[in-house]
Amino acid sequence: MKNKIKVFRAIQGLRQEDLARKVSVSRQTIVAIETGKYDPSLDLAFKIARFFNVPVEEVFMYET
Amino acid sequence: MKKNSFYLLIGCIALILLIIFWYSIENSIRFLTECAFIIGVVIIYLARRQVTDLVEDERSAKITEKAALRTLQVFWVLFAVFAIGTVTALFRVPRFPPGFRPPRPEELLANQGDIPSPRLIGYLSLGLLCMMIFLYVGFRLYYARKYGEWVVDEE
Repeated sequence: MKNKIKVFRAIQGLRQEDLARKVSVSRQTIVAIETGKYDPSLDLAFKIARFFNVPVEEVFMYET
Repeated sequence: MKKNSFYLLIGCIALILLIIFWYSIENSIRFLTECAFIIGVVIIYLARRQVTDLVEDERSAKITEKAALRTLQVFWVLFAVFAIGTVTALFRVPRFPPGFRPPRPEELLANQGDIPSPRLIGYLSLGLLCMMIFLYVGFRLYYARKYGEWVVDEE
């Protein structure tokens, strides 16, 4: 699953650690999601999207 | 408690358990090792709750879950083979029917190799336990790498 977390972080001027703290995960988890190594759960995906104030489909793109 | 202190505590407990294990073998006190092991595990579990800088999130839980599942899937097969083999061999231990006659020395010597000694069974059991720990560590490393534990990023 691709994502635009890095883009949204850059828009808001956030570091990975700041985002990790806001959504209650470790910084390494944010790194793993951004690099495509780990797909977040629905719960975490919605938390991230809600934090950026955008629909979840704008942050995460499901690819078959 | 910091996680480095926690790891140090685990090392100390392991060392103490080894010393207790050696002492109980020297003095043939079986329950000492067993009780000490259980107490050691309980202390580690309680100390784990006090660790403050070890963040457990869904990714680390997934890594732990997958590693534990794969370890179990491999280990139960090996342990079943070991148990079945031991029980099969032990069934050959002769019982004492009515009119039992003690075996002659040459009969005893002839059958000695077939029956596993308790010492061998003990060593094999300990070996299996060590192997299970190595298996778990191996699978944990594999899944940690798979889910990006050591990915280097720009920040």
